[in-house]
Amino acid sequence: MKPRDVDAALKAALQSFYESWSGKRATSFAGSDFEALRERLAKVRDAAIDDQEALLARFEEEARRHGSQVLRAEDGAEANRIILEILERHGAKTVVKSKSMVSEETGLNAALARHGVAARETDLGEWIVQLAGEAPTHMVMPAIHLTRAGVARIFAVRLGRKVVDDIPSLVRIAREELRHEILAAPAGLTGANALIAESGAVMLVTNEGNGRLVSSLPPVHIVLTTTEKVLPNTADALLLLRLLTRNATGQPVTSYVSFIAGPHRAAQYIVLLDNHRSELRTDPRFREVLRCIKCSACLNVCPVYQVVGGGVFSHVYMGGIGSLLTAWIHGLRESADLAGLCLGCHRCEEVCATKIPIGGLVAALRERLVRETGGRLWKRIALDGVLARPALQRGIFRAGRAARPAIQKEGYARGLPLWMKKYDRFRALPAPAKKSLTRLFHEDEAGRRRDAGGAKGPLTLFPGCLVQNIYPGVGLAAGRVLARLGYEVRLGPGGCCGFPAWNAGHTDAALRAFLAVFQVLEGEGPIITLCPTCTTMLARVGPELVRERRDRKPGGRRAAVPEVEELERCAGRVAAFSQFLACHEKGALERLLPGSGTAESIAYHDSCHHKYVLGASGASREILKMASGAEPAELPGAASCCGFAGVFSIDHAEVSEALLADRLAAVSAAGADVVALDCPGCLLQIRGGCARRGLKVEVRHTAEILDERLRDR
Amino acid sequence: MVNAGLVERFAAAAREAGAEVLGVSGLNAAFSAVAGLLDKEKTKKVAASAAVQAAGGADRLLVSLPRNPQEFSQTRVSLVRADYGIAETGTLVRLDSDDGEKMLWTLAATCVCLLDRDRIVPDVESLAGVLSEHLSRPGTPGSQVSLVTGPSRTADIECQLTIGVQGPSRLVIILVAGARGGR
Repeated sequence: MKPRDVDAALKAALQSFYESWSGKRATSFAGSDFEALRERLAKVRDAAIDDQEALLARFEEEARRHGSQVLRAEDGAEANRIILEILERHGAKTVVKSKSMVSEETGLNAALARHGVAARETDLGEWIVQLAGEAPTHMVMPAIHLTRAGVARIFAVRLGRKVVDDIPSLVRIAREELRHEILAAPAGLTGANALIAESGAVMLVTNEGNGRLVSSLPPVHIVLTTTEKVLPNTADALLLLRLLTRNATGQPVTSYVSFIAGPHRAAQYIVLLDNHRSELRTDPRFREVLRCIKCSACLNVCPVYQVVGGGVFSHVYMGGIGSLLTAWIHGLRESADLAGLCLGCHRCEEVCATKIPIGGLVAALRERLVRETGGRLWKRIALDGVLARPALQRGIFRAGRAARPAIQKEGYARGLPLWMKKYDRFRALPAPAKKSLTRLFHEDEAGRRRDAGGAKGPLTLFPGCLVQNIYPGVGLAAGRVLARLGYEVRLGPGGCCGFPAWNAGHTDAALRAFLAVFQVLEGEGPIITLCPTCTTMLARVGPELVRERRDRKPGGRRAAVPEVEELERCAGRVAAFSQFLACHEKGALERLLPGSGTAESIAYHDSCHHKYVLGASGASREILKMASGAEPAELPGAASCCGFAGVFSIDHAEVSEALLADRLAAVSAAGADVVALDCPGCLLQIRGGCARRGLKVEVRHTAEILDERLRDR
Repeated sequence: MVNAGLVERFAAAAREAGAEVLGVSGLNAAFSAVAGLLDKEKTKKVAASAAVQAAGGADRLLVSLPRNPQEFSQTRVSLVRADYGIAETGTLVRLDSDDGEKMLWTLAATCVCLLDRDRIVPDVESLAGVLSEHLSRPGTPGSQVSLVTGPSRTADIECQLTIGVQGPSRLVIILVAGARGGR
């Protein structure tokens, strides 16, 4: 299941779908408060999950009162068996289906086929995919990977019909064929978008109308759905509907929404599948996953999904949320590849209809994977063995600097061993800097003193390992800016904050690295970071790890772990460079900066953690506008991530390369002289990519740009 | 009291969703409009639901009621009546359609729907109570509610919006003023 080939045509289709979807989605939510809506829906879903057993009991009672039969299935095999029995009882040799991800989860079609029952998909996308003998690549748009020519070929071969490959003709053929199937079918099967406890009604949302046909034309209607779909009442279902259609397809509402209470014709069966959801429900760390309403918005915005699609990024369920569902439904080991494909960019959380913290949960899933499977050897060595040991790290970079004359050319690594070529091919890897930031900072001390007297008190600059060892100029620039503003700038520890280890699921190493850094950070004054990932670690993830560890082992090795108050005080001091300036120093900067604008044009690259976790993109744009005299230009395109994401760019070099290619195309299209950013990881990736492609664009950290402007004066 | 703003919003949203919207005054005019539509479709027959026939006035149309799904499937034009309209989304709401009526809504090539102007509500949430009460009606065979917005659509091939994949390819909404004041 490794993504060997990034399919260019599929990528283009997914990105163009994203473009049109995001525009329609924005229009459909215009005038309404998305945050408030999803907050409400999250609460409704949480309460329903808490109260699930009582709600299901009520639902069953009401549905039975209307004459429906409700059957519970423990797992997929049992659900398939129940459905087969129903069909056999009614003498049905075929069943027509509207789209049901749950039936993909249970492998229903194959199970029925083994007993001579044909399951026919009637959703156009699902039908095409079924004819092609493939699996869906998107939860809402199953055949998004196929072009009209591809569909025409499939129709010609499988239906033995003459086919013209324009879309209206293809749709007309589908209409004729599908209608014939549905009219002749003895039984129909649908999923459900919600189960309404107070009335025993099933809510069904479709666009084509096939759900409506399949549920009402054949004499027997089977609903295959899962236990977590139950909601107390109609009002709650309507709230879900309001978010579902807008988030899924950008439509204010789909063409058909049906509420069905009781059988329409001869019989209705509702099969309620658990399939380990009750275990998920009792897991305090992961139960939020059950809030998912399967709108797929998280997939549409996912940078990796946009590149590889659901064929690669799925095990029935797709994307980051898919990895979480898979871990329970199909087993922890099955989720490993999916969890590994998540960049951890957190972009999905911005659009999730029920505010599921998908990125954080995937990281927690990786921790479980490492705990249960031990993880990969090289990661154990790199993360547990090196990253969590500051002294060893320093030694390695010292050796790198000593060997510099032999291993670098113009700042980039050369003569890399063959196995590293695939990481160096698409972006030139940097060599360690001539001097570490610690050394440079010391040398520059007199200059900083001259700039200002430190009247605003002490401030600690936390450089992070890339700035410390590879891009010390960024740290130096930030130090100068802050000194000029009147701070007495101290340099914090140059070791790793622990984030890469946490992100890879190596929590012990992460905690060790975090604590090593934390102990040196104690003291007074703001802690200013130059990397959004370090900010996330120091202000949020690290303290959370300590808290978790305390809860898990109360009383165990207390001495090594700081008190919670101490942690929170320290976390409260942490701020990203541009966020700190935008918040506290705008007035002072205005006085210090030259009045004139720059000759160079600047475009801004949003780093994932900077934008989606810290919400600091606006602050950076403000600072850059002040520095350059003009609003920084936006980089065009659907993709947002540069593809670095630390360990990800090693695990999935090909995907990293594809993401970088898109970002570089956007950089070229923007035509700016400078690309500004706030993350040394993105700096490594984009600067290295520009070097490989010979793009004449300067890639610089906001701190460098600001420092230069202050010195211009 | 009809809120003209709601009617406007309903018509705009319904058109946005791909429906055609006409406005007439009184049921007489509504049936004249249907007759006009039939002329244009070059057919005399229309399959009308019981709700429409109960409203009276359909007698001047050549009304047929198909007997089985196959016959419904051959229906060119159907005539139905909605219980409510939703202004925000241009949605038609039908409470409890029986088998035959549901087929009229979904199987005909062109579906014509009558809607009283004074039955238009601002949003779907305004109907939460009505829907809830209707669905909770005790007994068998239970109840149904359908929300229909524009014609049947798909974007499953190359994300291109295409109309009429499974249900009607044409949805005509006739907004009737003073429908309940008699004929």
